[in-house]
Amino acid sequence: MTLGFTLPDRFGSQALGGCYAPETLVQPLLDLEAAFRSALLDPAYLAELKGELRHFVGRPTPLTPAPRLAAQLGLKALFLKREDLTHTGAHKINNALAQALLAKRMGKHEIIAETGAGQHGVATAAACARLGLSCTVYMGITDMARQAPNVARMRLFGAKVEPVEAGQGTLKEAVNEALRAWAARCDRAHYILGSALGPHPFPTLVRTFQTVIGEEARAQILEQAGALPEVVIACAGGGSNGLGLLVPFLGDPLQRIAVEAGGHGPDLGEHAARLDGGRMGVLHGCKTLLLQDDHGHTAETASISAGLDYPALGPELAALILDGKVEVRRASDEEALSGARRLCQAEGILPALESSHALALLPALAAEGAATILLGLSGRGDKDLSTYQSRSGL
Amino acid sequence: MNPLLPFLMAGDPSLEALPQLLSDAKALGLKAVELGLPHSDPIADGPVLQAAAHRAIQRGATPLRVLQSLTGITDSPDVVLFTYLNPLLQLGAAELKRLLAPTPVRALLVVDLPFGEEPAFEAELRAAGYPMVPLLAPTTTLGRARQILAERPDPGEGAPFAQRFAYVVARLGVTGTGQGLDLKPISERVADLLPLSSRPLAVGFGLSDPRSLTAIRRLGATPVIGSALVQELAEGRGLREALASRLVDDL
Ligand SMILES: Cc1ncc(COP(=O)(O)O)c(C=O)c1O
Repeated sequence: MTLGFTLPDRFGSQALGGCYAPETLVQPLLDLEAAFRSALLDPAYLAELKGELRHFVGRPTPLTPAPRLAAQLGLKALFLKREDLTHTGAHKINNALAQALLAKRMGKHEIIAETGAGQHGVATAAACARLGLSCTVYMGITDMARQAPNVARMRLFGAKVEPVEAGQGTLKEAVNEALRAWAARCDRAHYILGSALGPHPFPTLVRTFQTVIGEEARAQILEQAGALPEVVIACAGGGSNGLGLLVPFLGDPLQRIAVEAGGHGPDLGEHAARLDGGRMGVLHGCKTLLLQDDHGHTAETASISAGLDYPALGPELAALILDGKVEVRRASDEEALSGARRLCQAEGILPALESSHALALLPALAAEGAATILLGLSGRGDKDLSTYQSRSGL
Repeated sequence: MNPLLPFLMAGDPSLEALPQLLSDAKALGLKAVELGLPHSDPIADGPVLQAAAHRAIQRGATPLRVLQSLTGITDSPDVVLFTYLNPLLQLGAAELKRLLAPTPVRALLVVDLPFGEEPAFEAELRAAGYPMVPLLAPTTTLGRARQILAERPDPGEGAPFAQRFAYVVARLGVTGTGQGLDLKPISERVADLLPLSSRPLAVGFGLSDPRSLTAIRRLGATPVIGSALVQELAEGRGLREALASRLVDDL
């Protein structure tokens, strides 16, 4: 017997994902899946989403050639998919807005969200303001300090930001607290999870709403370059921008790469590289690659970027990696900072620290002989100015 | 009927104190206790049990050490191990069975394991005498409740309370001391759930004062006392003292 979900809830040959949720949340998750399925078949919902993505978010986002950086690195061509140019400054708005519309359709006017870098929190707060929904965002206190501009933004949009003091005060603890809050208010609130993780149907929901990135990018590069690139690359926290960009290229003969946070060292607790350091486990409702200690307790992580320090890799992305369809690499804090500096100076674009992890890989890919690369620039770096300043001695 | 199902957090106040707590519980005539395995990310727990788990982990109460500290204990009620799934998955079913064999653990309450998600693991443990306690939440429809009770079947009248009862979650949310819990919804809920099976029901989440505990008993169910008890034990109160007033009906 199964729980009664109708969409596929497991990924890949190792059946990652699933719905390891407390019983209180199982019915709300079943209801969410049903609402998601019916919304995708409802022309009115799809039209409203499309309209909002166009007129509020600013889609389609440009595909920007980066010829000076390409030349510097010895690449033939480099294209940037500009999610940094969306309203609120990161890909997170694609999912937040679509889920907020879904919540409204379900008659739920209270929204709960977690946030790490604050981009998902800001996107959710903006979507809620736009749609007239109330919004509470849970955020770890470490992240509140290092992403202070985003805390102010959320509050300006009328959201309540709840500080989470437990543990390391980062994304994992924020998700814990958001899940608890949802269990208490699931009769009236919808939880907008910000990455392709958590219990089914969240990973599928989030990925579905993010594939607009790759669908646009694929059409744009074919139009602008007349051919597919050799490499498509994105950074991976939970995996939402990575899946969003890479999934539409799964059928193509090219190299697909997800970049994890290498942090400042190779030992457990010094990075967030789940592929090398992680073992199969269950956290926040899904089975996936998880950084954990010998006792099955979630390990601490470290990364200069608040959006990449989640201890688990989203289950669908983990499955694609384990099944050989996506390659995984890692970039250290220092390499990410260098990647950001190169883009700033060559192209006049300030990337988010998360996106800088993908940028960090470019010299290595050039050295390996790649000629044309499509890179997901998941967000803008305004939120990270204080880190860039202190780490670059500006 | 079992008058009370107390919840203890393993390793808080200390693992050394556990044998005495279990012995006291037995002396009080209790048939079962829930024993929490401290976890790093207790998503179904409120602040009191989160803090207790955190203290226990700081003191070194790893799953392995908790189970080792239960080894050989017989002066104890049946123990229901209350836990999150990941630590059990990391041990694996075979090792878990080996560790549980010499302990008073008779059932597992795995908060984040709905039936059907780890069928092989669950079946292997049930066959070895460690059934999973069925959980019924306020959001669980009666249809789903029937399904849950069938998927996690009653081993029968001859089996102990620990292996037969279903756990009814009294309110939405997480564990914690619920000040002023409105007892009307849970009364109606228990009345709806009792006829679904012949197994005993335990009711928990937010119960602590003698009056609420009495009210649950009057419904024909066993009240669970968790956060309030854990808090009092952490503050140095003894188990007998903490439970004395809660075992007598407050009329
Ligand atoms: C700009 C940006 N990129 C990437 C991420 C990582 O998340 P994901 O892997 O879900 O795309 C975040 C998360 O906060 C982010 O803000």
